[in-house]
Amino acid sequence: MIELEGIEKTYVAGSVETRVLKDISVRIEAGEFVAIMGASGTGKSTLMNILGCLDKPTAGHYRLDGTDMVSLDDDALSHLRNNKIGFVFQKFHMLDRATSLRNVMLPLIYAPEYPDDAGVRAEKALAAVGLADRMTYKPSQLSGGQQQRVAIARALIRNPSLLLADEPTGNLDRRSGLEVLAIFQQLHRQGRTILLVTHDEAVARHAQRILVLRDGTVAEDRPLAQPSDALAELGAMPPEVSQ
Amino acid sequence: MNFSRISAEAAWSLAAHKLRTFLMMIGTMVGVSALTVILAIEKGTQIEVAKRVESFGTRLIKINAGGGKGYTKPHPNITTLRLEDAEAIRASVAGWDIVTSVSQRNNMPAKAGSKQCTASVYAVDADWHEAMDWPVVEGDGISDEDVVTLARVCVLGAGLAKNLFDNESPIGSDIYVGNVRLQVKGVLVRHDVSPGGEDENIRAVVPLTTGLRRLYNQNHLSYIRVRMKDPRQVPAAAEAIRQLVHERHHIVPPQEDDFSIVTAGEVAEVARGISLTLTRLLITLAGLALLVSGAVMMNILLLSVSQRSQEIGLRRAIGATHRAIFAQVLCESLTVTLLGTAVGSLLGWTVSTLLPNWTKLKIAVSWEPFALAAACALVIGVLFGVLPARRAARLNPVEALR
Repeated sequence: MIELEGIEKTYVAGSVETRVLKDISVRIEAGEFVAIMGASGTGKSTLMNILGCLDKPTAGHYRLDGTDMVSLDDDALSHLRNNKIGFVFQKFHMLDRATSLRNVMLPLIYAPEYPDDAGVRAEKALAAVGLADRMTYKPSQLSGGQQQRVAIARALIRNPSLLLADEPTGNLDRRSGLEVLAIFQQLHRQGRTILLVTHDEAVARHAQRILVLRDGTVAEDRPLAQPSDALAELGAMPPEVSQ
Repeated sequence: MNFSRISAEAAWSLAAHKLRTFLMMIGTMVGVSALTVILAIEKGTQIEVAKRVESFGTRLIKINAGGGKGYTKPHPNITTLRLEDAEAIRASVAGWDIVTSVSQRNNMPAKAGSKQCTASVYAVDADWHEAMDWPVVEGDGISDEDVVTLARVCVLGAGLAKNLFDNESPIGSDIYVGNVRLQVKGVLVRHDVSPGGEDENIRAVVPLTTGLRRLYNQNHLSYIRVRMKDPRQVPAAAEAIRQLVHERHHIVPPQEDDFSIVTAGEVAEVARGISLTLTRLLITLAGLALLVSGAVMMNILLLSVSQRSQEIGLRRAIGATHRAIFAQVLCESLTVTLLGTAVGSLLGWTVSTLLPNWTKLKIAVSWEPFALAAACALVIGVLFGVLPARRAARLNPVEALR
């Protein structure tokens, strides 16, 4: 359902050409939980932007559910993102002055049809990430982990076929990070397709399959027979010190 | 792209940043209120001028004794304006309808029985009633025969009649002006108190000859009223009269005139109070202020766009087209200017209605300035909203989200 075929990306700055991605061909089936790993400068972010349809490759094809995004114009890409992709960012990217509920409902504004039950849907989505009691809180009143969970609810509100998480635990402490990963694993069990971009092996080990980027190519593509279980890790942690 | 959802986002964004919204709005608010107030003053002045010109008469040329520019009053000590001047005007100026002479004295003692007061006395020709469009309400007016025979008669203004006779009819009774006995033959129609607050009704009107010989013992006139058949002839006739009187009085410019000529043009000039140039300047300034307010708003909006670049990047990532972003920012600028116009209009209307309490300015509040201000604001909102909106729409989401 995700097909990358000979993806290349070259940046031109003046007379200097930088080939960031070189001939990447990968196939990811619906329902997979894949971690994309790589040190910084390996083209991880560039690949992530292409996968998120925020950027186009210089060459190659990227088919998402059979649609080749390379031939689409900017408007069509916007609609594609709205319909098919849910984003979770390292920096959360919340609207500061908006409540959790409003943040979660944001993608609906750009949807072709605004559902009558938008509010109810958003409440359910928040409840699903354990924030039923934080609906009217603003980002400044939430912890980082809570904000990231709001972001996950926001990413899922349009019921996308791909959940794209870019270093989702990068700004979180270990416990909050594990909580987020536990949600991903739960979503995976429910059949979601998840792409997790990270530089951290320990985080990547929660996926089913790991792609390692090196020098703009896929250096490794290996399945994980025994992924880490985030819930079990949380259970093994010393009890939280209450403040 | 759904416009109602986008505009709701714009409204939410403005409501969420109240201080910023207020700062964007304040210029439009002040500009619009200034513009509407100035336009109300200009309109009020125009109406006042038209009213004064109307009451003076567009066909009228008044030749006052005594020099001076503008709407001067006849000078009592100048003795050079004579009946012969009026005769000469009749003889040599074409197109006149009425030429009537008036000799006037103020503050003369008037007495009837035990009652007395002071009144202005007007010695006039028989056609004065027609020239002034001021008929009698009771009895008869001054007649040619009265003038020829130096008749000891008078016509009373409604105010003087009331002062001397209360509500009784004065017709046939005698009054004394100074120590001259005159029989009352008529009462003038009551005139409204003039804009200047003078009561024109406290007056006695007597035959010209009676006034000159019996009351004042003089030969000179206060003024000559010329009514033309056609208002378009007034400027040329006024010039002809000026030259004629120059000749008759042996005045060679730059020697100062011993008379002054007043037409509706001079009356209008005096009635304006604020000069047209000044109001035009003020209107221009208010328009400029409105334009500058647009630039200030644009500046703040540009700032807010760069401040919100991450938010805009996020919106793009979750599916906003660049047109949706453009529409939201443009909608914000339009909302701000329209809101500013609404508040500014309210402010301008309030000031316009209160201003006559504090100043002598004439105000006429009408809907046109508000419509104009709203149109201006609309144009400014679009004009100065386009740049920030375009900048926001062109943000590269990849860079904005970094």
